[in-house]
Amino acid sequence: MKNRIQELRKDQKIRQEDLAEAVGVTRQTIISLENGKYNASLQLAHRIARYFDLKIEDIFLFEEEES
Amino acid sequence: MWLNRLLLDVPVDFERRCRNRIRVGMGVTLLGVLSLAAMVLQNRQIMVLYLEPGAGEFIPAFYGSLGIGLMAGGLANVMRNRRYLSDPKLRREREVAENDERNRLLGLRCWAYAGYTMFLALYVGILACGFVSVTAAKVLMVVGGVYALLLLLFRILLSRAM
Repeated sequence: MKNRIQELRKDQKIRQEDLAEAVGVTRQTIISLENGKYNASLQLAHRIARYFDLKIEDIFLFEEEES
Repeated sequence: MWLNRLLLDVPVDFERRCRNRIRVGMGVTLLGVLSLAAMVLQNRQIMVLYLEPGAGEFIPAFYGSLGIGLMAGGLANVMRNRRYLSDPKLRREREVAENDERNRLLGLRCWAYAGYTMFLALYVGILACGFVSVTAAKVLMVVGGVYALLLLLFRILLSRAM
């Protein structure tokens, strides 16, 4: 699952530390999310979406798996 | 339900968690003191059961190092958690780190992978011990059996709780 966290964060000139503190996770989790190494839980996705004042699907891009 | 609190992701008050850890740390320190007392008593030839040859040398070193380790671990736990309670900034940092979902997932996966590896090592150990020591093979089989039972027990408990 891809996401636009890094893009949104850079657009709004927000530091990883500040985003992490606002959504209640460590900076390492934000780094892993941005690198696509970790998928956020529904709760965290919701908190991030609220932080950017967007819908979850505007930030997290769900992709159908190719069979 | 107590199972939900014990086994699932229920938010726990961090201050309460620290206070509980301080109590546990004190208990562990007390165990360390008891272990050191056992070493001293053994040295004075009181309540000694010489089960195997060489136990006389092994027991003092065993209880001594165990006691020192328990005391050090217990006291470190107490001091660390007292610092969290007295320093709000440090407490917040620790609370975020402990409740961070990625950290929690990493912790669970570490336990799972270590458990799988341990079980595999037990199988190999049991197979190898048949040629080396019957006692060791029996002990490993019991450990493997208890491990499998615990796995089944937690499977049942968790499937009821979720």
